[in-house]
Amino acid sequence: MIKTDVYEQALFETIKRGATEISPDVKDAFINAIAREENPDAKKGLSATLESMEMSKQRENPLCVDTGWPIFYFKVGNKCELEGGFVELENAARRAVAKATKLGYLRATMKHPLTGFDPGDNIGMNIPDFTYKFVDGDSIEISYAAKGGGSECFGGTRHRIVAFADGIKGIEKFVVESFVASARAGAVCPPSVLGIGIGGTANVAANLAKEAACLRTVGSKHPDPMFAKIEEDLYEALNSLGIGILGGGGSTSVLAVNVEYAYTHIAGIACATSTNCMVARRASSRIDAEGKVTKMTSPNWFGDR
Amino acid sequence: MAEYHLTAPLKDEDVTKLKLGDIVYISGECFTCRSRLQKYIFDEGNSLPFDTKNRNILIHNGPIVVKENGKWRLVSFMPTSSIRFEKWGAKSVENWNLKMIVGKTTMGKETAEMMKEKKCVHVSPQSVSPNLWIDSIEVQNVYLFDELGSIEAAWHFKLNDLGPFIVDIDTDGNNLFDKMDKEIEERKIKALEKLGIEPDYEYTKLY
Repeated sequence: MIKTDVYEQALFETIKRGATEISPDVKDAFINAIAREENPDAKKGLSATLESMEMSKQRENPLCVDTGWPIFYFKVGNKCELEGGFVELENAARRAVAKATKLGYLRATMKHPLTGFDPGDNIGMNIPDFTYKFVDGDSIEISYAAKGGGSECFGGTRHRIVAFADGIKGIEKFVVESFVASARAGAVCPPSVLGIGIGGTANVAANLAKEAACLRTVGSKHPDPMFAKIEEDLYEALNSLGIGILGGGGSTSVLAVNVEYAYTHIAGIACATSTNCMVARRASSRIDAEGKVTKMTSPNWFGDR
Repeated sequence: MAEYHLTAPLKDEDVTKLKLGDIVYISGECFTCRSRLQKYIFDEGNSLPFDTKNRNILIHNGPIVVKENGKWRLVSFMPTSSIRFEKWGAKSVENWNLKMIVGKTTMGKETAEMMKEKKCVHVSPQSVSPNLWIDSIEVQNVYLFDELGSIEAAWHFKLNDLGPFIVDIDTDGNNLFDKMDKEIEERKIKALEKLGIEPDYEYTKLY
C-alpha cells in the first residue's frame, strides 16, 4: 500500500516541476524552432523564451506568470492500493496545490466564475480537475498539467460536428480556420502544441483534444498512418501561415499537431481542438507498490507517444 | 524598424514618433491593471486611489508577488492579453490619461480610436520570458490589495529599461495585427488548397 505522505510529497514535487521546469521534449522543439526560424525578431523571441525557461529551474519560479488551471491525470494500476483510497489522493492533490500556491510556484489564479471571489489557493468547486485511466498493474502514474488562460480562453478550444460527407476535408478546414482565428495577435500564445480530438460525443472529442495537447510527447506521431498523415499535413499547413511566436510573424506557429480519436456515431464526427501554449507545462511521476517514486520525462498517457 | 528607450511619465512627442513594428524599452513609473480593477472603477463607481499624471503607462498584468521580511518580491511577470479589456479600454485611456498600454495581443477598434484622439500607443511582448524581465522591475507599492486580491490589485512598479516590446497600435490608431491579418488570410487560402480544400468549399450544414 502506498502511504499518504509518499503520494502527497510526489504530487507536490510533480506540481513544482511542472510549473518551474521545461519538459525535455518541449525544449527540443524550441531548439529546432530556433534553428529553422527565418524571421529574426521571432528567432530572438523564441531564444529569449527558452533562456527564461532555463532560468526558472535554477530560480525555482514559474515558467510563465499564468500558472493556469491545475489539472491532474492519474494512470492507475488495477491493483494499486493507496492509503485512504482515491478520495484521499484527491484531498492530497488539493493540499499540494494549495502549498505550491502559498510558496509562489503557482499563482492564485482560480476564482469563483460569477463573483470573482479569490480563495487564494487555487482550490474551489470542481478545481483541481481529475481524470483517471485504469491499466493493469499495481503502480500509479501522476501527471500534472497547467492549462494557461491564453491557450484556453481565446478560441483555442472549440468543437464542431463534421458530417461524414465532409470527412477529413471538413475536419482539416475546421482545424485550420479555428487556429488562425485563435492565434491572431498571439492570443493563444503560439507556437502552440495543438491537440485534436476526432470522434466520440463532443465532450469525448474535447477531452481527447486536451489530452493530445497536454500529454502527448512533443515530436511523437500517431501509430495509425491515417492519423499520422493528418498530423503531418496540418503541421505543414499551420506552419506555412507565418503567424509565429505571439503572432508577430515567423516560421513556427505550431510546435506539434497531435491527433487522438474515438469511434463515433454514424450521424457525424465530433471534432475538437485544444491549443496548449508554447510553454506546454506538465510533469509526471510514477509511484510503485512499494512507494518508490520515479520522475518521468513524459506522461506515458498514450503509451509510447 | 527603430528602437527607442523611453522614460515615464511619457509625453505626446515620446509616443507620436513611434511607428508600427518599432521596438521600445521602458523606464520609470507604471501601474498594473486587470478587469477586476476596471470593473471596480468604471462599473462600480469607485475612484482610482492614486494619480496617473506622472504614471501614464498601464501594464495589463497579474504578477506573482510575495512578501518576504516585510518587503515585496516579484516572483514572475508577463503581460496578459489586452483584448479582453476592450470594454473598458477607451475609458481607461481617456480617464487615466494613458500614453502607453503594455499587453499581450492588442486592443480593439473603440480603444484604438480613443488612443488616436489622446495620443496613446499599445505595445506587446515578443516572448514569454519572465526571468529576463523581473530584474528590471522594482515593486514600489500596491493599491486595492484587500479589495481585489493580489493578482487584480493595482501594483506600482518602477521599470528599468524593460523590454523589448513591439508597437502594435500607433497614435494614428493603426494596428500591426490588422495588417498581418491580410497576409495570413492569403496564406490560409493557399494552405487549405494544399490540403485539397478549395476556397469555395462548404461544410454540409448539420445545424
